[in-house]
Amino acid sequence: MKGTRARDIIFITLIIFAITILAIPTLLGALSSIPPIDLRTIAINYLNNTYNPFNQTLWTSSPEAVAAIVWDYRGLDTLFETVVFYSAIVAALALYREILGEKDILKGKGLSVIVQRATAVSMVGILVVGFATILHGQLTPGGGFQGGAIAAVTSVIAIVVFSRLIIDKSRLSYKRLLLIRNAALVGIALIAIIPIIPFMFGDHTFLSFIFQNQVKAVNSFSYPQIIVDVPMGGSIWFYNLFEGLAVITAFSLAIIVVFYSEELSRKTIEGGEIGF
Amino acid sequence: MRRLLRALPIILFSFLLYLLYSGSIRIYDIVTGIVVSIIIGIVMAPIVIENWRKSLDLYRFFYLIKYIIVYFFIYEVKSHLNVIRIGLSPSMSIRPGIVRVPIRSRSGYALTLVSLSITNTPGTIVIDVDEGKNVLYVNWIYVTTVKPEEVYREVAENFDANAQKIFD
Repeated sequence: MKGTRARDIIFITLIIFAITILAIPTLLGALSSIPPIDLRTIAINYLNNTYNPFNQTLWTSSPEAVAAIVWDYRGLDTLFETVVFYSAIVAALALYREILGEKDILKGKGLSVIVQRATAVSMVGILVVGFATILHGQLTPGGGFQGGAIAAVTSVIAIVVFSRLIIDKSRLSYKRLLLIRNAALVGIALIAIIPIIPFMFGDHTFLSFIFQNQVKAVNSFSYPQIIVDVPMGGSIWFYNLFEGLAVITAFSLAIIVVFYSEELSRKTIEGGEIGF
Repeated sequence: MRRLLRALPIILFSFLLYLLYSGSIRIYDIVTGIVVSIIIGIVMAPIVIENWRKSLDLYRFFYLIKYIIVYFFIYEVKSHLNVIRIGLSPSMSIRPGIVRVPIRSRSGYALTLVSLSITNTPGTIVIDVDEGKNVLYVNWIYVTTVKPEEVYREVAENFDANAQKIFD
C-alpha cells in the first residue's frame, strides 16, 4: 500500500514535469504563430506547380495537391508503402495457409432480420461512397487507399451481420478476391514502368523516368491530362483506381480469414505439433 | 438483362447517392456514376432485393414518401408530446414493461420498417424479434395493457398498416 502511494506520487510528478517541459516553450512561442502566417517555400512550390496549366514543366494535372504529392512527386515512396502493406496482408494470409479458401463448417444465421435488412441498404451506400472517393481522388480529398478502406467496411459488417456463410454463398470467393487484388497490384506496377518500356526495349534515345506522370523536359511521354471533362491527373487516376481495388480486396481477404470459426482456424494453430 | 432489371432499384439509388456525394454533375461524374452503380447493383442485388417487382412499383414508393411525412410530422410529434408530459409531470407516472406485439406484415423490409418506427418514437423500443412467430418484443414506457391485440392497436397498428402497403 505504502509502495503504491510512493509510486503514484513519482508518476504524477513526472507527468506534471513532462507536460510543463512541453508547454513552456509552446507558450513562449517556440513554434512561432499557430497557424503560421506565411507558407513555407516547399508548400509554395507544390501549390505553384501541382496544377499549373501555364507552366507544365513540373505539373501533375491533378488539382488535388495531396494526391499529386502522394502518387507523383513522391510516388516511389508510396509504392514502397504499398509493398509494406501488402506484405503484411500476405503474411497474415500465410499464417492461415492450411485453410485458405475452404468453406467454413459453422452454419451461422447471422443477426435478426431487422438488422440484416437495414444493413443491406447501408452496405450499398458505403460502397457508393467508397467508389466515389476512389474515382474522385484526383479532384477532391481522399483517394485510392481512403476510398478502398471505406468500401472494405462493407465486408466487415456483411460477415458480422449475415454470418460468415455469406462468403461461401456469394460469388466473391477467396480465389476471385485474390485474382482482383493481384490484378490491381500488377496494374500499379505496370502504370509505374510503362514510361520506361521503350528504353527497356532498346530505344536508348528515349529517356524517361520510372513513375513519370506528365511530360518532362527530357522527353515527350505523358499520361492523359483530361478524362471526359475533368482533370485526370494522368497516372494518379490509375493509381487511385488500382490501389482502391487492391485495398478493398486485401482488407476483405484479411477479414474473411480472421472470421473463420474456431474449429477451422485451430487447425493452423495445431500445425506446429504435427510437425512442419 | 434480367439481372440488370433485378438490380434496377439499387442502381437508381446508388446513382443518386453517387451524384449527391460527388457534389457535381459533370459528364465524368455521370459516366463513372452509371458504371459504379451498375456494378454495385449487380453485386448487391442478391443481398438487398427481396422482390424486384415490388421494388419497381411506383405506388409503393408514393406510399413510402407519404408515410415518411406522416410519420415524422404526426406520429413522432404525438409521442414526443406524450413523453414530454411524462417527463415534466412531478409524479413520474411511468409503468415500464416489455410487451409482446404480433405483427401482420410478413416481408423483411416491412418488419424492419415497423420496428424502426416503433424504436424511433420515444417511449417504445423494440428489444427483440421472433421471426418465426412474427412477434416483436417492445419495451414500453407506460404499459396500459398486455393483451396482444390491444397492445398491437396501441403500439404498432399505424406503422404496420403502412408497412403492409409499402412493402408487403
